[in-house]
Amino acid sequence: MTDISYPDVVNYAVPFFIAAILIELLWINIKGRGGRYETRDAVTSLIMGAGNVASGVALGFIAWGFFMMLWEVTPLDLGTSWWVVALCFVLDDLRYYWVHRFGHRVRWVWASHVNHHSSQHYNLTTALRQTWTYTFTFMMVVRAPLVLLGFHPAMIFFVGGLNLIYQFWIHTEAIGKMPRWFEAVMNTPSHHRVHHGRNPRYLDCNYAGVFIIWDKMFGTFVPEQEEEKVDFGLVHNLGTFNPLRVAFHEWIAIFRDMTQRGLTLRQRLMYAVAPPGWSHDGSRMTSDEIKAHHLSKRPEDRDSPGF
Amino acid sequence: MPLSVLIPVVVIGIAGIAVILHLLGLTAPRRLADRAEALAAWAREFPELPATDAQLSADQRAALILMDTGDAGLVWCFGADTVARPLAGSNLRETKTGFDIRLHDVGAPRVTVTLTPEDRPRWKEALRA
Repeated sequence: MTDISYPDVVNYAVPFFIAAILIELLWINIKGRGGRYETRDAVTSLIMGAGNVASGVALGFIAWGFFMMLWEVTPLDLGTSWWVVALCFVLDDLRYYWVHRFGHRVRWVWASHVNHHSSQHYNLTTALRQTWTYTFTFMMVVRAPLVLLGFHPAMIFFVGGLNLIYQFWIHTEAIGKMPRWFEAVMNTPSHHRVHHGRNPRYLDCNYAGVFIIWDKMFGTFVPEQEEEKVDFGLVHNLGTFNPLRVAFHEWIAIFRDMTQRGLTLRQRLMYAVAPPGWSHDGSRMTSDEIKAHHLSKRPEDRDSPGF
Repeated sequence: MPLSVLIPVVVIGIAGIAVILHLLGLTAPRRLADRAEALAAWAREFPELPATDAQLSADQRAALILMDTGDAGLVWCFGADTVARPLAGSNLRETKTGFDIRLHDVGAPRVTVTLTPEDRPRWKEALRA
């Protein structure tokens, strides 16, 4: 079975994305709460989203070719039953959790993912501020086990698209908390706001795509604290709306760091694969060091969520 | 969805949202209200580098930050928000209205600061320290 196909759901969702952004904007303007917009920030996010689709068209053949090569060698074929699609969706969401976690803990992968966190706003346009350079992270290998287990590559891309569409609506401040049962199982605006926080408490947590249970299983869940409002953006925020700089700034920074004079080979490698903020001379701080610095100033926060 | 449909939808969608945001007044430049706001904006990004003083630019869109260590930093308005960077290693060029600062940072390459003639000497001294 090699000729199955599924709709490109992300492309079909584009009109829905635009309509939802307009509805959120209208809501914020009528209610005077529930988030904020700024023209250049929003336009940058939307251009990043368009560029992400374009990069998928231009470079998607690499991942597709890799997966079809694996599909040729695997003896397993689970077919296309609805339960296989559902199982593929759940397992791909587990894959997403780990790729996303690597995206925050390995600078090479962070270089691609950082642009999604580079807005100081948190609205539905932020959801579309997506990477142009995912192919260069080589994180496609994390999906290889799914193909080898017998899930067709077309099905894997289909459920990946559904995963991305699910994550669109959680990028909002207009929704407070969902019902308790939903918050317990699913990723929600509240959980994902925390993920976009630059507060020391909220760094490196809530990596889930659709099911928040992965964070609870792997010890990375931090609930949104009523007494600590999320401050959105990067530890050191960008000072540019130029989409090219947004897309490539961290890759260029890695290159500059790795090519400094006087470093050992190990130090050069660490600038690419160590957590973001690592430096050979200790002149920068990783998220662990930022949390430790915070606790040195505010020891009463020790053992509270996120610390 | 064929590209012949997707591309116009994306282009018209982005342009339409941009026009609506602008007409709603959401392109208005932010200004720093006072010295305290500039210091808070600095502490937000560099809590490990305590500031002792801040001096606002003439248009209140940037502030010079002075630190315990004698080093200087810069806070500036960026869209509806603020960005901050230490000034060590930056390049300074004087312009008719103030300074053009190059930060050698791909993610924050350049800041233009508007200053009164009276403010220039102090900024110049701090920026060249």
